[in-house]
Amino acid sequence: MARLQGALDRITRVRGVRGAMLVGGDDGLVIAESLMAGVRGNAVAALSASLVKKLRRAAVAAGAGLPKFLHLQGERGTLLAVPAPHGIVVVVIADADVNVGLARLEMMRAAENLI
Amino acid sequence: MSETRAVEAWTLEPLRRFVAEAGARLALLTTPSGQVIAQHGFTRAVDVMAAAALGSAIAASTAELCRMLKEPEFRSLNHQGVEHGVYLARCDTPRGPLLLLAVYDSDSSPGLVQLFFEELARALAASCPPKASEPKVLAEDFERELTASLNALFGR
Amino acid sequence: MGDEIAALSAEVARDPQSLAFLRLGEVLRAQGQLEAAARVVVGGLGHHPYLPDAHDLYARILVDQGEFERAEEEWGMVLAIDPRHAGAHKGLGFLAYKRGDLDAALDHLELALAADPTDQRVVNALRRVRKEFERLLQAQGSVAVPPAAPPSDLFAGLEGAGSGILLADAQGRVLAGAMRREDGIDVAEEVAAHLAGVSQEAARTAQLLDLGQWRFLLAEAEHQNLYLGEPVEDTLLLLARDRSVPAGRLAVVAQRAAVVATRWLEAQR
Repeated sequence: MARLQGALDRITRVRGVRGAMLVGGDDGLVIAESLMAGVRGNAVAALSASLVKKLRRAAVAAGAGLPKFLHLQGERGTLLAVPAPHGIVVVVIADADVNVGLARLEMMRAAENLI
Repeated sequence: MSETRAVEAWTLEPLRRFVAEAGARLALLTTPSGQVIAQHGFTRAVDVMAAAALGSAIAASTAELCRMLKEPEFRSLNHQGVEHGVYLARCDTPRGPLLLLAVYDSDSSPGLVQLFFEELARALAASCPPKASEPKVLAEDFERELTASLNALFGR
Repeated sequence: MGDEIAALSAEVARDPQSLAFLRLGEVLRAQGQLEAAARVVVGGLGHHPYLPDAHDLYARILVDQGEFERAEEEWGMVLAIDPRHAGAHKGLGFLAYKRGDLDAALDHLELALAADPTDQRVVNALRRVRKEFERLLQAQGSVAVPPAAPPSDLFAGLEGAGSGILLADAQGRVLAGAMRREDGIDVAEEVAAHLAGVSQEAARTAQLLDLGQWRFLLAEAEHQNLYLGEPVEDTLLLLARDRSVPAGRLAVVAQRAAVVATRWLEAQR
C-alpha cells in the first residue's frame, strides 16, 4: 500500500495535478488516493470508471483495441485515466493546462508498479 | 414498466433523478419499517411488498450487528452479483430516516449508485415538507390507506 | 421444451399475475403455436397492461400471423411507455422496410442500435437498408438527394477519410463519414451507437467534476488512437488513426475535420 501511495504522490508532484487515485474499474470505488482539498474522490472514481468502461466498448467496436490512456479535456480542467492490471484504473484530475505528457508518464509508471 | 411513482409526492423528482443518473433498473424508497414511499421499475405490488419487507429486515439485522460491534448505525450495504447488483442504504430526512433499495446492472456500478445516492439523500432532505403532527392510526383507515398507496404506486 | 411449457403453464395457472407468461409466450411462439402464444400474452396483458415487453412479444406474434397493422399499433404502445425500447424500434424498422419506407426504417433501426449497440442483427439490418437507401437515391438522381444523405466524400482530402472519420448525432446515428476496421468491415453504425453513451458520460463527468464544458476526449488504444469531439452541439466527430499517428497530429486533423463538418451541418440547416 505504501508503494502505491508513493506512486500516487509522485504523480501529484506534476504541476497542475489536483489529485491522483487508484480506482476499481468495475465498481468505480476508490482504492487509494492522494487528493487536494475540495476534490471529491468518490465522484472522480465513479465517473472516471464509468467513462473508461463506455469508451472501452466504443474502442473495441471500432477495432481500436483496449484503451491504454484516456484524456478528457474540459474548459476548466482535465481528467486522465490509465487502465492498469487487475482491473485497476489510475486516474488523475488536473488543471486545464497541466503538462499531459508528464502526468501520463508518471501514471504509466504507477500502472507498472501494480504488476 | 419504466415509470417512477410515489405515495409521497416530494420524493418523486429526487428518485427520478437518482434512477436516471445512477442507471438503476429498480428502486424502492421505504421507511425503516418497510412502508413504501416511492418505487421505480416494479410491475407487481406483491414484488414491491416483498422487496420492501426484505430490505427493511436486512437493514434492521445489520443495524443490530452494528450495535453489537459498537459501530455507528447502519448506513449502506452493497451486493455485486454477476449481472445485477443490489444496494441498500439509509438516509435521514426531517420526517425521519428512509431506506433506498436499488438494483443495477453492468451499465452502472456501485460507485455510481453510491455517488448518486448521496445526491438523492441531499435532495430528499431539502424537499421534505415539515413533519406534521401524527394522526392516530385507526384500524379501518389502515386498509384504505394501503389500497390508496398501492394505487399511487401502480397508477391504477 | 414440452416440460418447460408444462411448468410455465402451471405457474401461470397458479399465479395469473406471474411474469412467467412472457417466457411461456416466447416458447409457444418459437414452436409455431401462434394462437396459443397470443392467448397467453393477451391474458398476461390483462394483468400487466403497461409492460412493454409483453406488448413487444404480442406484436411479434402478430407479425408472424401477418397482422402487420395491429403489430404496428402494439409497438406504438411500447414506445408510448418506453421510448427507447430496442425491440419496438427494431420491429417498426422491419415493418417500415417491408412497406418500402426506407427512411423510416433507417430511423427506427438507428434508434434500436442506440438503445442496444451490441445487437449484431440490427447492425446487419442497418447495413442492408442503408445500401438500398443509397441505391435508391442514386437512381433518383442527385437533385433528389435530401440533406440526410451526405456526400460520401465529405472529409475527402483529410487523413483517414473513407475509413476513420465519422460524424454522428447525439442519439448515436451516423450523419456522415465512415468507420472501418483494419479488415475493411464497416463498423460505422455500431461505433456511432456507442459514441452516444461515451459523449453523455464525458459531458456528465466534466459537469460534475467542475471541469467546465468538455472539449475533446482523446484515447490511446492497443491498435489505434481515437479523438472524439463535439464540433456543433449534439453532434459528435470521431477520428481513428493507427498508433503511428501521434495524438497531437490526430488533434490537428480533428480540428480540420471539425471545420468541414461544421460548414456542412450549417448548410443543412
